[in-house]
Amino acid sequence: MSETIKVSPWLDSSHKPYIQIQNVTKRFGEFTAIDNLTLDIYKNEFFSLLGPSGCGKTTLLRMLAGFEKITNGKILLDGEDISEIPPHLRPINMMFQSYALFPHMTVEKNIAFGLKQDNLPANEINQRVEEMLELVELTDFANRKPNQLSGGQSQRVALARSLAKRPKLLLLDEPLGALDKRLREQTQFELMDIQEKLEVTFVIVTHDQEEAMTVSSRIGVMDSGNLVQVATPAEIYEAPINKDVADFIGDVNILKGIYKGQNEVGTQLFSEDSNSIVFATQEVGASVEDEMWFAIRPEKLEISKVAPSHDHNILKGTIEDIAYGGSFSTYHVKLDNGRILKAIRANRERTKEHHLTWDDEVYLQWAPHSAVVLLS
Amino acid sequence: MQTNPNFFKSIFNGRNAVIAIPYIWLLLLFLLPFIYVLKISFAETIYARPPYSSLLIWGDSWLPSIKASFDNYLFLFSDSLYIKAYLSSLKIAFISTILTLIIGYSIAYSVARAPTRWRGILLMLVILPFWTSFLIRVYAWIGILKTEGLLNLALMSIGIIEQPLMIMNTDLAVYIGIVYSYLPFMILPLYANLEKMDMSLLEAAADLGCRPFKAFWTVTVPLSLSGIIAGCFLVFIPVMGEFVIPDLLGGSETLMIGKVLWTEFFYNRDWPVASAVAILLLAILVVPIMLYQRSQEKAIS
Repeated sequence: MSETIKVSPWLDSSHKPYIQIQNVTKRFGEFTAIDNLTLDIYKNEFFSLLGPSGCGKTTLLRMLAGFEKITNGKILLDGEDISEIPPHLRPINMMFQSYALFPHMTVEKNIAFGLKQDNLPANEINQRVEEMLELVELTDFANRKPNQLSGGQSQRVALARSLAKRPKLLLLDEPLGALDKRLREQTQFELMDIQEKLEVTFVIVTHDQEEAMTVSSRIGVMDSGNLVQVATPAEIYEAPINKDVADFIGDVNILKGIYKGQNEVGTQLFSEDSNSIVFATQEVGASVEDEMWFAIRPEKLEISKVAPSHDHNILKGTIEDIAYGGSFSTYHVKLDNGRILKAIRANRERTKEHHLTWDDEVYLQWAPHSAVVLLS
Repeated sequence: MQTNPNFFKSIFNGRNAVIAIPYIWLLLLFLLPFIYVLKISFAETIYARPPYSSLLIWGDSWLPSIKASFDNYLFLFSDSLYIKAYLSSLKIAFISTILTLIIGYSIAYSVARAPTRWRGILLMLVILPFWTSFLIRVYAWIGILKTEGLLNLALMSIGIIEQPLMIMNTDLAVYIGIVYSYLPFMILPLYANLEKMDMSLLEAAADLGCRPFKAFWTVTVPLSLSGIIAGCFLVFIPVMGEFVIPDLLGGSETLMIGKVLWTEFFYNRDWPVASAVAILLLAILVVPIMLYQRSQEKAIS
């Protein structure tokens, strides 16, 4: 997790949002793709719209680009209402999921296309194209046609083409979806570098939560046309707003708890899985006997064969499965009631002595501040 | 020396048989008739049956002597009628190809951009005229275009014109007939091309600041070039030799090489000159046919 902007303008009310999406609704016939959505995005942000397919994230992006008409509400860019401005007049550029490179033009001509529409002088166009080719390291490929490029190269041409006009806002629709894992990770860092260097505001649509975590300043998690949570990657991961967000971002163990009130440690919950009271530092406003959940990330569950000295926040089970991941291993632990929890442990020892193995009886424990209490 | 039995087996296998069929077809139905026509074009007209002289004269020696002449070809250049007819055919074919392209492109474009459920029906309507005989469709145009035809009656009854328009038996009638008859040959390759175009390319163009009209010329048209070329050749080549339409709809001043050929063959019974006209027409068409082939090969690669 890294942050591309060091300050947090969304916490500072003196900052004016750069993009204001105000009560926007989009309907396709009977179907509501975006439902009364409001969102502010700030200058130089790397904002991710994250969600399962069909959640409306692409529709929202296409409304920013101007390809979809807004049914209700409006979108402001730098204070100006752009809702009715056609796409070719918006100072916004988009990088398409399919890249949409013009197959009849060379790399150079593709990049120059947008600049030519502005009737810039030829030498300025050439200079700008040169800069862009250097930026994406494709100078040697200037005269190739798109069908002579690899997936990664096409992706970079598409990026160069969308950046050539120096847009104030760049929209990226699943930009890395077609690349293999290694290339995708490398390109994520390149994207972040470029974004910082050119000081462009990026809005990216992705269904890949790892990608969103890596590149974003903030993430907007969407579901069925609504924003469920808007926060920094760390906040989304460590303090998800509900079970769905917790489950969608990363691996998580979600356990049911009955609210039993507060004490000096924090919230007391009765867990059926441990058949005892568990503690969470986080305070919640609820009444006794309310049903709620607590979520623990696998890396925050400590797994060991030795019984802990204290007596709360402990679950007992046997190792059902082990996924060896090199630097760490994921253990699937089966509780006595049959539920399976995931725990991750770093593989610090090279020798076998400390290793846990199948059918080992183990204890899972966690600190009261490691669990997130979720009301829904 | 012994022949390897596998040699014959390897030649007469299923694969070669399949490949051979089109070649045999072309040999029997194109190459042999062509050689026959070529042969006649070097002969002389005589009153006999068939009405041309033999190329091979069997004299006293073992080998026959060949009696061929270029007179028929020279004759084509001596009488300005033929040159004029070729040029006029070229002109008519060229203009009607352009007209067909303009009309065909707009039809193909609107069909390709129509909602998916409509496309099949619209395309069906384009192909539907083929279900009626070509000749009958051209005859129908006589009924529409003649002095007391449907068009004139309609225009006069609503008072747009007072005197009937003289369209029948003019070049205009020929253009109308040709454009109407050959439109499907233009629409189909263009539709096939436009239909598979990636619409996100137009969005990309708009996104980069290109107006829709300009995007049409800088993106859609260049990408449909192979369809344009295919459609234009499919219209231009047969129109060059068109006989029925100028004969039925055209007037005495409509000069087309197909009509000249017909006259030479049936009225003058001058088979050798008619053959020479046909061979020269083919020679003129070989150039666009080869260009067409080249563009098709390019499109494939």
